[in-house]
Amino acid sequence: MEDFKFLFKVVLVGNAGVGKTCLVRRFTQGLFPPGQGATIGVDFMIKTVEVDNEKVKLQIWDTAGQERFRSITQSYYRSAHALILVYDISCQPTFDCLPDWLREIEEYASSKVLRILVGNKIDREDREIPTFVGEDFAARHNMYFLETSAKEAENVEKLFMKIAEDLMQQARNKDLSRYECSTTNITARTSSVNDSSCCSKLT
Amino acid sequence: MSLMKCCFDTPEVSDIFESMVQKCTDPGCCCGCCSALRPRYKRFVDNIFPINPQDGLVKLNMEKLTFYSLSSPEKLDRIGEYLFQKAARDIYRRRYGFVIIAMEAMDQLLVACHAQTLNLFVESFLKMVQKLLESTEPQLQILATQSFVRFANIEEDTPSYHRRYDFFVSKFSAMCHSNEYGEARDKIRLAGIRGLQAVVRKTVSDDLVENIWEPVHMDKIVPSLLYNMQDSAFYLKESYNTDIAPEDQIDSPLLAETCMRELVGRASFGHIRAVLKPVLRHFDLHKLWVPNQFAIHIFRVIMLSIQAQYSYTVVETLMAHLDENSKSSPTIRTSIADVLSKIIAIAAGESVGPSVLEIINSLLSHLRDSVRHGINQKDEKQYQEALINALGEFANHLPDYQKIEIMMFIMSKIPFPLVDNNTPADNLLQSILLKSLLKVGTKYQTIHLNSTFPVSFLEPLLRMSLAPDPDMRLLVQKILHTLIDRHSNLEQLIKPTVNSAALALTLETSSRPDLIFINKHGAMIYDALYTSLQMNTNTIENIEAIYTTLALLCVELASAETIIDLLQLVLGIQNLALTSADLPTPQKFNLHAIVASLFVLISTIANITPLSEYASKIVKARKKEAPHLLPDLLSIYPPKAELANKLPHLVIDQMAVCEYLKSSGFDSTRLMQTSPYGAGRLGVTSGTHRHSWVETGARGSIIEIPATQEVDSASSSPGVQKKLPEEELTFESMKRVLTEPPEIRKEAEAEKREQLSHIFHTATFEELKCRTQPKHDLLQNKLNEIFKSLSTSEVHQSPLQLDKKHSVPVYEQNFPELFLY
Ligand SMILES: Nc1nc2c(ncn2[C@@H]2O[C@H](COP(=O)(O)OP(=O)(O)OP(=O)(O)O)[C@@H](O)[C@H]2O)c(=O)[nH]1
Ligand SMILES: [Mg+2]
Repeated sequence: MEDFKFLFKVVLVGNAGVGKTCLVRRFTQGLFPPGQGATIGVDFMIKTVEVDNEKVKLQIWDTAGQERFRSITQSYYRSAHALILVYDISCQPTFDCLPDWLREIEEYASSKVLRILVGNKIDREDREIPTFVGEDFAARHNMYFLETSAKEAENVEKLFMKIAEDLMQQARNKDLSRYECSTTNITARTSSVNDSSCCSKLT
Repeated sequence: MSLMKCCFDTPEVSDIFESMVQKCTDPGCCCGCCSALRPRYKRFVDNIFPINPQDGLVKLNMEKLTFYSLSSPEKLDRIGEYLFQKAARDIYRRRYGFVIIAMEAMDQLLVACHAQTLNLFVESFLKMVQKLLESTEPQLQILATQSFVRFANIEEDTPSYHRRYDFFVSKFSAMCHSNEYGEARDKIRLAGIRGLQAVVRKTVSDDLVENIWEPVHMDKIVPSLLYNMQDSAFYLKESYNTDIAPEDQIDSPLLAETCMRELVGRASFGHIRAVLKPVLRHFDLHKLWVPNQFAIHIFRVIMLSIQAQYSYTVVETLMAHLDENSKSSPTIRTSIADVLSKIIAIAAGESVGPSVLEIINSLLSHLRDSVRHGINQKDEKQYQEALINALGEFANHLPDYQKIEIMMFIMSKIPFPLVDNNTPADNLLQSILLKSLLKVGTKYQTIHLNSTFPVSFLEPLLRMSLAPDPDMRLLVQKILHTLIDRHSNLEQLIKPTVNSAALALTLETSSRPDLIFINKHGAMIYDALYTSLQMNTNTIENIEAIYTTLALLCVELASAETIIDLLQLVLGIQNLALTSADLPTPQKFNLHAIVASLFVLISTIANITPLSEYASKIVKARKKEAPHLLPDLLSIYPPKAELANKLPHLVIDQMAVCEYLKSSGFDSTRLMQTSPYGAGRLGVTSGTHRHSWVETGARGSIIEIPATQEVDSASSSPGVQKKLPEEELTFESMKRVLTEPPEIRKEAEAEKREQLSHIFHTATFEELKCRTQPKHDLLQNKLNEIFKSLSTSEVHQSPLQLDKKHSVPVYEQNFPELFLY
């Protein structure tokens, strides 16, 4: 129901195949899709979560990692409140590309964007990037860091909740990035809908 | 706010209701019984929903709701909000049937209600559309898009400036890339394109609502459209007709193209780059340059839909993209240049003034860069070809006067000097620029030779006809061919032949401006041709090409004047073949062969029977005794082939030619005089090795002759009798001034000439221009003056007419028009 107080746009980026789509689907649909195909262009998902008893709507834009879609995916960076940069802990090249991704983010995203580094697929045995290496990189670039597994639902919920909380905190403090799409007024109306549909029980 | 709301507007009560809602999941269970307690508008809304969603909108009740909304427009926004809330809840509960009905109701209200009352309703409406678009259900997304399209078609009185379409652009673009399974994929993609089209239509006319041209939007819209077009093969079929496809059969590639056309067509000057930039990036990223059919298609679409006055910007942008790709593989650059050549013609019509030269200049600098970077690569050569093609295509669609401008411009870019020790890059650049010139030249249709060959063009061109590199010389001849040939005789004159009667040549009387031209510049041209025949590096092709140039001149400028001049030149060439110490024997034979061919051609064209008879006699004799003195030209001749010097009876005799001319009423005096080409008489070894026409140009001293002396020389020139003072200044006399410096000066000048020759061979073009300009100007002024005096004089008589007074030449019968001045 349209009773959220905050709307945040979250964009996922990172090399093809690191598991961006799986992370989003795990979070929004609670499943790990078998045989997830490569994303074409951009995908869109929505999820409303609750933080401090407030409803927060997360608009999630899942971008394609393939180089050929770079021009369209970059155009989604600009309006993002949070950018999740994902790599695959079992695939060194996806980690090596991180500086390139940061450059792109620097160029196309807002400077105030919340940036989170995510090392995905920690369920895998063949880890190539030790946790501290990822941590270190994130610290050096002023990013949050989290390791996840979309497959085992490890840290996925936490990742998005953390983002929601953080953005809400930001919004409350600076009153920035605040979306008034659903004001108290609308919330009141929402309750009035509820009123009417069940009024008979009251009488 | 509703009455109920006022009574229960406390959080606690809401909470209680909230918990009750959970138990009461079926809206039908309780709504019917308590309708009396609810506000009227809610009752109207509730009543449009059937008990069973499959039954669809309750039509009668929908009419009632519409009527109610029209009569109480102030309630419209609340109706909208209420409908939205209901739908939001139904989406949450996945009762899509009801969602669809709610959306349908909103659509109907939107269309039915008057514009001024819509404003707040629209907010709910759009919230509803967004809500549907956010769902993962393809059906709802498609439905929402349809509603959005309907909305976009409505004219709003008061645009709400706070409204933003960011989400819609983002979501529709994402839909354009849908990767759903099965049929849904195409439907969602199609919906995405429709949605984008609607956003564009809605916003394009009013920047304050939402500036759709912002890169943040264009970078989504443009790639989304292109992505939908590129996978389809439809663009390969040129004749695809956008009109006949029925609405429901429209496919995404076609719709995307329509949308693209619309977008481009609406772009004003400031917006074009915002469209083009993502196009170019898309082609780069999706590697769509090689092969380039799709790129050609898209750029044609752009060129044909863009407002014509901006089409030049597209060319410019593509050219700049070529710059950016200077490090890319030559294949990519070739492809881009090829796209350029395919669209540049469309821009040409719109380009004016400086932009034309800018484009040419850009193409030339790309050529120059290419030459600098890769000299021997095959791919690089193809790139150069593509650029030259683009140049040709561009020129092809410009008016003729601009073509000449372009040719002169290209000429000015050719590096000088043309000496042997040029770097290979310089040589390549020269020949590439000549190729470009040739390309432009082929697109140019000469009408008057004098407008085709301004001195400032002719001069350097002839200079280049003497370049050390035989290939370059060949190119220059080809340029001359295409520019001189006005009657499509080139094909037939490409190879020397002594059977010119068999040629089906198209002849037309030369016009007065032509005659003026050849009188003015003939000497310079003939001299250049003669000199280039002296080059011992000539291949057969070179010699044949020079033959073709001469033959074309002969055909194009058939007049008593030129015939004498040409015969003089032909005899000069024969003499060269007889006396040159430099030329290898096969080349000498080649020269004799073209001399024979030209001799036959001239006598045929001029229709001088005795001369023709003489020519065929010689040909017949040569056929029998010395076929090596006839075409075809060979590079190796049989060892027993004898030098023409030993066969004097097979050589064209100057005296005989003079006699035959005289007997036909021609004034052959000039032919008797000392030829400007070495020595004029048979058997006389002149020994003067002529260098190049530039020397002739350097015979500047002739210009120093005082005007009186000039007139003198004219009056003393034989052959023309009963002259009026004006008539004395014939072209002929002028020409003599040019071509026949008095014998006495010759020696004194020899040294100076040597010097000058050296300078001309080594100095740069610019330097040369400085050196020669004043003199040429002088000459030019002189000539202009004379021509003016001629044209102002009462009697507009050409020298031909003067001849006519004495005897009726044979050729008059063939060229009666000649005498129609
Ligand atoms: N073991 C393991 N595999 C995963 C995990 N997440 C994703 N994968 C697999 O990684 C592959 C790619 O996942 P996607 O989610 O499609 O990757 P993506 O980043 O969206 O790729 P693009 O859309 O091409 O950019 C799939 O085969 C997934 O099954 C994970 O947490 N653990
Ligand atoms: Mg993906």
